[in-house]
Amino acid sequence: MKLIGRRLIQMILILIVASIILFIIFDSDTFKMRIALAELGNFGVSAMDPDDYKAWLVKKGLDIPFYQRFALWVGNVLQGDLGWSFEKNTAVGPLLWAALKNTGILAFWVFALMVPLSLILGVLAGMREGSRLDRSISFISVFTTSIPEIATAIILTVIFALGLKWLPTKSAMISGFDGWQLMLPVMTLVLYDFGYVARMTRASMAEVMTSQYIRTAVLKGLPYRRVILRHALRNALIAPFTVIVLQLNWLLSGVVVVEVFFEYKGFGKLLLEAALFGDIYVVQACTLVAVIVAVTSQIISDIGYTFLNPRIRFA
Amino acid sequence: MADITIEPAAPSILAQLTRTRIIALLMALVWLPLSAYVISGVTPGGSADYMLLPSIPAVILLYLIAFRAWRESWVAVLGLSLVCFWLLVAVSVPFLPLFDPNKPIAPFQIPFATKGENFYLLGTDYKGRDILSRTLWGCQRVIVWGVTATLVAYMVGMLFGLLAGYLSGWWDEIISFLGNVLLSFPVMVLFIVILNYLGPSGFNIIVAVTFASAPAIMRIVRGLALDIKTRDYVFAAQTRGESPLWIMFVELLPNVRGPIIVDACLRLGYTTVAITTLTFLGLGLQPPDPDWGLMIRESAKTAMLFKFSYMLIVPALSVSSLILGFNLMADGLREMSLRD
Amino acid sequence: MNRREFVRIAALTGLAAGTAYAMAGLADPVMAAETGNLPFPADEADAQSGGILKVAMQIQKMEDPATYSWVEMSNQTRHLLEYLAMTGPDNITRPMLAESWSASDDLKTWTFNIRKGVMWHNGDELTAEHIKWNVERWTDPAIGSSNVGLSSISALVEEVDSGEKDDKGNAKMVKKLRDGAITLVDSHTIQFNLSKPVLSFPEDMYNYPTAILHPSFTPPFSDNPIGTGAYGLAELAVGDKCILKRITKTTDGKDFTYWGGKVYLDEIHYYNFDEDNQLTAFAGGDVDAIYEFSIEQMELAKAVEGNIIAARTAQTLCCRMRVTEPPFDDIRVRKAIVMACDNAAIKALVYPEGGDIGENHHVAPVHPEYFELPPIKRDVEGAKALLKEAGKENLEVTIDVGNTDGPWHQSVAEAMRDQLKDAGITLNVNVMPASNYWEIWAKTGFGATAWTHRPLGTMVLSLGYRTGVPWNESAFASAEFDAALDAAEATLDVEERRAKMETVEKILQDAAVMVQPLYRPVYTITSKKVHGYPAHPTQYHQFNKVWMSA
Repeated sequence: MKLIGRRLIQMILILIVASIILFIIFDSDTFKMRIALAELGNFGVSAMDPDDYKAWLVKKGLDIPFYQRFALWVGNVLQGDLGWSFEKNTAVGPLLWAALKNTGILAFWVFALMVPLSLILGVLAGMREGSRLDRSISFISVFTTSIPEIATAIILTVIFALGLKWLPTKSAMISGFDGWQLMLPVMTLVLYDFGYVARMTRASMAEVMTSQYIRTAVLKGLPYRRVILRHALRNALIAPFTVIVLQLNWLLSGVVVVEVFFEYKGFGKLLLEAALFGDIYVVQACTLVAVIVAVTSQIISDIGYTFLNPRIRFA
Repeated sequence: MADITIEPAAPSILAQLTRTRIIALLMALVWLPLSAYVISGVTPGGSADYMLLPSIPAVILLYLIAFRAWRESWVAVLGLSLVCFWLLVAVSVPFLPLFDPNKPIAPFQIPFATKGENFYLLGTDYKGRDILSRTLWGCQRVIVWGVTATLVAYMVGMLFGLLAGYLSGWWDEIISFLGNVLLSFPVMVLFIVILNYLGPSGFNIIVAVTFASAPAIMRIVRGLALDIKTRDYVFAAQTRGESPLWIMFVELLPNVRGPIIVDACLRLGYTTVAITTLTFLGLGLQPPDPDWGLMIRESAKTAMLFKFSYMLIVPALSVSSLILGFNLMADGLREMSLRD
Repeated sequence: MNRREFVRIAALTGLAAGTAYAMAGLADPVMAAETGNLPFPADEADAQSGGILKVAMQIQKMEDPATYSWVEMSNQTRHLLEYLAMTGPDNITRPMLAESWSASDDLKTWTFNIRKGVMWHNGDELTAEHIKWNVERWTDPAIGSSNVGLSSISALVEEVDSGEKDDKGNAKMVKKLRDGAITLVDSHTIQFNLSKPVLSFPEDMYNYPTAILHPSFTPPFSDNPIGTGAYGLAELAVGDKCILKRITKTTDGKDFTYWGGKVYLDEIHYYNFDEDNQLTAFAGGDVDAIYEFSIEQMELAKAVEGNIIAARTAQTLCCRMRVTEPPFDDIRVRKAIVMACDNAAIKALVYPEGGDIGENHHVAPVHPEYFELPPIKRDVEGAKALLKEAGKENLEVTIDVGNTDGPWHQSVAEAMRDQLKDAGITLNVNVMPASNYWEIWAKTGFGATAWTHRPLGTMVLSLGYRTGVPWNESAFASAEFDAALDAAEATLDVEERRAKMETVEKILQDAAVMVQPLYRPVYTITSKKVHGYPAHPTQYHQFNKVWMSA
């Protein structure tokens, strides 16, 4: 419990440092000018004299020094107001919420497919270390993990969308939710990620299989199936559990390229567009979410690890 | 990185030292001309090409040495072969009979097309540039920026890791906290924020990769340093009255080498992914450089058709094979170190 | 005066273009003489009503139409808010909310007769008073409308002392509407009294921020969208979608009748796609039409089933040199660079299909007053000789390229690099992100700037090459040029004006201010079931007569 408290305090510290840095970065003239260019048009900005530009900054609230804006922003966030998007001309809250919902749907299906697949493959491989099955599974997992998401996305698109024409090329979903359009992004993320989790499961399973109590159980003449299901699995799944929870953190990075490639309106696409635009409050909100998810998943994985493994106690 | 163990010291220190020197020399012979060639941005075809000539035998020698050392693990050898193939391409591409990678010749020629007296093995892109030539030239960019970025990240990460691990106390607290701040950002968020601020270019990729990778490296090195610090030879050095810096770099560093090499191979893979992905997102290298990420980016908007899909597939497979090479190498090396 | 010219002048002076075509004995290509004095194309006999047109475009916000800064914004409101005039896909400007117009001989008084029976979405009838309210609003410094920069509106304002002082203690000047600049003749006639002759008054009235608003307007427009068009705003989500639906009832519940004749589409849906992704969205069947695809995507477009539409335009790229920056302050250097380039070859390489060759004087063949000068010839030896004379052999210069209009800018710069090499000039191509380019476009020594289409050649020359004007990126200053341009702009008759343009074009061309290799076509694509989709040179969406087959 003490550790969790320390982690939470650490998270808050991290959030404060991160958002101050972001405010400093986006306070630069480059980003203000970028917003002005996007709003007023290229020639419009060049036609403005310095006074007009100053007036525009005042109108947008960008003339206030960043530390004051930071203080204001913190106050607003604590009241649940995440600010205003310059680009989308709307409150950040609903925007972020909609994007997170879409990414949530994506993540749900990724985990729903990836977890069983990688656990089964990992356990199968780890059960008989060094067997042909183990070697093939291991090689396949290194292989799929080595193909970057962008390449996986391309190969899947070329095969299933352009070649066979079974699935749509893009996932913009302009006329509402469409499960078919979700398939390629989900497949891409699963293919990229399952190998890593499978390898972790395999390593953990292999370790358990060589442990004393499993050997004893097998020597005692217990049925092999029962040894695996009753004794080995429980202990072998502790390490993968941590890894799986930490994949949440990875997913927030991984979705950017997949969402941009497939035009899927989720968190990653929102973040990239906002960063390119200089849309400070959207970037802040996205970072907030990303850091909270990252740190929370670390805490959960720690707790889970302890819960599943009674040998470890928090100091 | 829980499954990293410390490599035991090799039997003959002297033999290893000479071998290390040769390897270091060969690596420098490959590395320095190649990075100078790419970073200075010289136009191919000039006399600058000749500075890459000595690198070709150096790559082959490196391959043979590593092959001998790792021949017991076919995984490592396979990875090594993939990496060395691309390395060989990178240093020898100016001497290959290829089209100019940036010269438009005939657009949208499919692979194996013959037009006039020109033959396009892998076809041409939307601008009419030869894809074979762009792919082979492209590996130079990825390798140079990827390895340089990883190298810089390592130097920074190791420096802070050793500082934190060896000095401990407040230094450790501060360095570890800053590391944790950076590690709490999902990598891509960090990349986007940094590159967007600094502007897209190869040099800024180095900065971004350093920020993203150094904290993790720092953590590993710190852990190793904490562990090794308690060993006798460090204690001996301390009683000899050596300065902390001397101890860090001369006594500690060589002894954390083993696990770091494995981690470096993996990290080279990540960096390659990152560079390709960032370039695809428009945050990395800028056109018209022949680069795999750029090739994907440009083809994704001009050639989203089955009959033109070679434009996407070729760079996608190239980058995958390079990363596979790094990962297999890491895998094989780890396996070997576990076996010892 | 040939017949097409007659049509052009007739339209300019307010004769219904349909009538003008008839008087010239031409078959009217797009106009419907039989539907009365309307600016829209004729109704097709087999046109079907109904259907939803889905268009991929960037979705922008709709704050204040007078300060629109992107064409996309105006397209979103183009079927809600209408204009006094309308420039068709044929680059001819016809009366829209005005019924006709006339100009005095000195081009200093313009009289617009406002169309009768135009109904606002709230049931009011459009009057000249409403027009006056709009024009006054454009000239209000507090609004900050770019319309003040139009030659027509700038001739309505004067600079006065604002009473405030700036930092240095000088009096701050503001632009304000002159007294008596606008006169209401009657409820449907408005007269503009200008301080200088203006030729392009009707063309200016279709500049995209000149949409006519109801006087009850308060920004943002999307909150209270009242216009005169056939469609109303149903939903707007910036960066996502913009849904327009046919208006049948006024806001006070009465039946709404649209003045402009029959319209066919039930709804117009705009969906947000980046320019790079619009064609792939179309290929995937998500949309029926797109805003634009680039030349790089032509092969892809040809492979997709649909109708490719190309519009001939005056959109161009000016690789202009700043005449005050060394080494470009030496005209011999500029001339050498211009002479060493082969515009025709660059165009053939970059835009093999459609488009026109540029002639380094920024008047395009689509402009009515375009005077054809002798074709420019590449002269590498001459360029070398000039450089030698200037003592600038082995000249090395850098051109800034922002690819603001697409990667073809870079292709142009690279082609120039290869050509200049023949004359011993080293050209470095410095590629930068578009946003960075717009920060330096007016300052850099050598830069490739994109200029959009304007209906008249004189309009862009006035904006970009007069001494000291804000957008004069090349710092070109010539009293002789200004005077010649004044003379051309004071001439309503196209034939006479063209004769005067010879001097104007020649001065600019001889000054070697820019390498202007081409005028590019703009491409779009529609699905086979979309009919009557206009190929507008500035990508203005005019969907009144667009219909969809089932």
